[in-house]
Amino acid sequence: MKKARKILIFVVLPAILLVASMMLFIAGDGEEEAEMAKGPITIFWAEWDPANYLQELCNIFTDETGIVANVETTPWSDFQVKAFNEFAAHSDAYDIVVGDSQWLGRGATQGHYIELTDWIKERGVDKSMAPATIVAYAEYPKGSGRYWAVPVEGDACGWSYRKDKFEDPKEKAAFKKKYGYELDIPDTWYQLRDIAEFFYRPEENFYGVAIYTQKDYDAITMGIENVLWAWGADLGDYDTYKVKGILNSRAGIESLEFYKELYKFCPPDWVNAFFPENNMAMTEGIASMSMNYYAFFPALANPEMSKYADVTGYFAMPEGPAARVAALGGQGASIITYSKKQGAAFEWLEWFVKPENQSKWGDLGGYTCDLKTLKSEKFLNMTPYNRSFMETMQMVKDFWAVPEYAELLESCQRYWSGYVVADQFTAKEAMDGIAEEWEVIFEKYGYYD
Amino acid sequence: MSDTNVVLKKRGLSDLAIKRLFILPTLVLLISIFVVFPLFWSLGMSFMDYSAVRPQVKGVNPKWIGNQNYKDVLLDPHIWKYFSLTLRFVIMAVAGEFLIGFGVALLLNRDFKAKGLITTLILLPMMMSMAVVGFFWKLLYNPGWGIINYILGLGEFVWLANPKMTLISITITDIWMWSPFTMLLALAGLSAIPKHLYEAAEIDRASWWFKFRRITLPLVSPLLLIALIFRTMEAFKMFDIAYVMTGGGPGTTTELIAINLYRLAFAQWNTGKASAFGYIVLIMIIAISNIYIKYLNKVKEM
Amino acid sequence: MPTVSQTSRRGRVAHWIIIIIVLVIMLIYLIPIYWVVTTSFKPFKAVTAIPPKVLFRPEITSYVKLFTKRSIVRSEEELVEKRASAKWYERRVLQQGQTITGMSPFPNRLFNSFISAIVSTIAAVALGTFTAYGFSRFKVKGEGDLLFLILSTRMLPPVVVTIPLFLMYRFLGLTDTRFGLILLYTLMNVSFVTWVMKGFIDEIPKEYEEAAMVDGYTRFEAFRKIVLPQAVTGIAATSVFCFIFAWNEYAFALIMTTRRAQTAPPFIPSQFGVGVVDWGMIAAGASIFLIPVAVFTFLLRKHLLRGVTFGAIRK
Repeated sequence: MKKARKILIFVVLPAILLVASMMLFIAGDGEEEAEMAKGPITIFWAEWDPANYLQELCNIFTDETGIVANVETTPWSDFQVKAFNEFAAHSDAYDIVVGDSQWLGRGATQGHYIELTDWIKERGVDKSMAPATIVAYAEYPKGSGRYWAVPVEGDACGWSYRKDKFEDPKEKAAFKKKYGYELDIPDTWYQLRDIAEFFYRPEENFYGVAIYTQKDYDAITMGIENVLWAWGADLGDYDTYKVKGILNSRAGIESLEFYKELYKFCPPDWVNAFFPENNMAMTEGIASMSMNYYAFFPALANPEMSKYADVTGYFAMPEGPAARVAALGGQGASIITYSKKQGAAFEWLEWFVKPENQSKWGDLGGYTCDLKTLKSEKFLNMTPYNRSFMETMQMVKDFWAVPEYAELLESCQRYWSGYVVADQFTAKEAMDGIAEEWEVIFEKYGYYD
Repeated sequence: MSDTNVVLKKRGLSDLAIKRLFILPTLVLLISIFVVFPLFWSLGMSFMDYSAVRPQVKGVNPKWIGNQNYKDVLLDPHIWKYFSLTLRFVIMAVAGEFLIGFGVALLLNRDFKAKGLITTLILLPMMMSMAVVGFFWKLLYNPGWGIINYILGLGEFVWLANPKMTLISITITDIWMWSPFTMLLALAGLSAIPKHLYEAAEIDRASWWFKFRRITLPLVSPLLLIALIFRTMEAFKMFDIAYVMTGGGPGTTTELIAINLYRLAFAQWNTGKASAFGYIVLIMIIAISNIYIKYLNKVKEM
Repeated sequence: MPTVSQTSRRGRVAHWIIIIIVLVIMLIYLIPIYWVVTTSFKPFKAVTAIPPKVLFRPEITSYVKLFTKRSIVRSEEELVEKRASAKWYERRVLQQGQTITGMSPFPNRLFNSFISAIVSTIAAVALGTFTAYGFSRFKVKGEGDLLFLILSTRMLPPVVVTIPLFLMYRFLGLTDTRFGLILLYTLMNVSFVTWVMKGFIDEIPKEYEEAAMVDGYTRFEAFRKIVLPQAVTGIAATSVFCFIFAWNEYAFALIMTTRRAQTAPPFIPSQFGVGVVDWGMIAAGASIFLIPVAVFTFLLRKHLLRGVTFGAIRK
């Protein structure tokens, strides 16, 4: 009997204790859940400044309505994986997701997002927000008039540049002598190339330009889109899904070759560059111009973050041989089908689209898509880049928003990065390869039926 | 009461009971949670056209497509490129970790003050989170403000942006992080070698090389092999450091299989094909480690 | 002909040369870590200075930022007003035009890391040692296959098991719970422990236990009083490895947990500042995060060295 007791003490008891303590952890978690009858709602976004601004806006919402709203974030690199993992499991962890525009196809066709068409039309949100943003962040399929999200953060690619260098009389004279025209904000991509070449001075640790080159997610694609469209080529026909002859047209190949030429004037190690790197190029003063999303410009204008904040200027995408286009970024808020607090989530959305709150959103630093706020003098003068942002939002274009966008991205990221930074292909091989693979993907998912 | 009962009672639980009590919990947990469900689920899905994010519709998602996924993976020329890339990485990294780890262990295998402290300090790299390590080496490799070029006086030498150097850069980071592991195992093996063997050799005036080849090497080889098994397995699955440092780029110069697999499974949500790919990788790892283990058993018997 | 004292002197010189080489090697290993730690004390702009700054005035702003949620001060008046009543740590971030609005989730994440790593290590080592003993001392049908099966759980590319595990966890209500994470880490480690501890226990002569049992010990008592004390070194070494694994695990923590149970590793690299990477904050997080595991290893260093033989060396 004694032995049995010993076994009891040494095996069974610790085991019970272990299980019990683990149960306690679960129970502890459960209690938290029981308290939240209405709210708090959880809004999921990526880890960046606008998410912090949104949290501040949510705090105002909480003060006014009593419903707690928390903004939950994850790094950009994990954003898509995390969100769709939760969708796949029909999880109610998030009530609202501020998702990338490319996600709309998946969210809508795979049943993760609640359709907001009637809700948006009743409230006239489709009229009060900039039309381009409604199409980009809310509508799927494009042109159908069906909406799945409310635009939250409008965003697109723009440029920052070093005003002091551009305005330096000595530089201006030298530039004029070399290129035969005044050094100024570039009107065309060719001028931008000249300036990049002009300022490319490795011996001074100063370089011409910083562009997107990273292979991860959609980085280099976002950069190349700007030139691709400016040269008159396109990613394909958005209605018939035909790609061959459009993407790998002469214009398409030329634009890609142009992008690679710009890459020559980048700082060394510019192979894995996306928004943090391109911002760093300005804050460290190693590039004369840097491409980036407007949402990342606040750091450049902040003297605490950037040594060159006072001498940094901003301009919108230059004109190409065929057009002037900027690649779209930005996100819209969608309500998740699996949320158990949809009532509170709708209340938040209702509150968010009110003009006065859109104006607060703009004040906090969010890129509102609300027309009235966008066009107000207050917004335009709030930062040195808001005016060029307003200009840019009139000429935006977006990547495919089909549910299979990630497969399309994998293919073009591989070829474009392979051509531009790794010399694994020629421009033609890259474009032909993408066109070929994309059509196979479209074929596989029945877009040609 | 019979005799056997008395004996059993006297001896507490029977051996059979102990055996079951000891082994079953692990097996049941492992098999039920880690093996049966995920493995069989993935195995099933590897024969289906299936995407985990799409709504489940019988006959459409998932849809039985036989061995199409396996064919797709094995016939994809890109994937073979990634395999050879991974193999290159594994060989470079494991060889580097082996040589450096063993070398440092040979140097450390003597008595001196603060040996424990110094050994522990050298072990620090392997205690860090891989994601953080990858992140920080990006800072160290930076041509401008990176400390590596500064110390080595390489000026603006480009590490990660240089298609020829990227894989090597990642390998260096991996070696820095994991050679301490081989070092630790080798050191443990070395310190377990009985001193009298060396003393005997000393009397015979054996050369240093002879002692190393005839005494040191045979006696540490089982542990070195274990270190090799673990490192090879881990290097084959290498994800965090490479993903954080290069994201598989530039181009496809560092697209290791684990990174490609991750893209297939999570960015593209091609669950079926990813499962098939995963199984192919698993079979390769099992094959390689089986060779090692066979060899290890042989060495142990010697 | 060299005299005895000469050889020993030469030996001593060689000894010191080797010690110096060892110290140099140690320094090479430590430079990146040194750089992480110093980066955490650098002022924001000094991190990316060219050439790299070795000397600077250390400040703990990064640590303050790591532990707090902050928002931007939007007007001069607000800044002046805030400055008047600021505490020392508030003043640190005010310099960067920010004000503290609350605690960051970092302490909570750190706590989760502690719980998950400690509990899972104890559980894995206990379970694994039992299993190893079972395999070592009794005939088990298909032993080789079972052992290989146990090891193969560690060979799987994590991606293959993540999706089904996630779906299963969701079904069982285990996602985002500490218990779920602990269970996962325990299972990941138990295969390693079993495999390693079997080697150790194989080396402990069976005769000791048999003798003890003849003296009236039960099998369990023999295990506890004879086998365990001899296996202590191995257990300690194995625990270190389990702890390091669970402490640093990233992928599962990221996917399986969202906020209540999330550990620190997914949190640390996500600390972006205002549009640029805040290296200081990441470095601060990494430095704090390295301390517990380093201390744990240092305390068990003696066992580690002897115990890491994994039973592969005959004594």
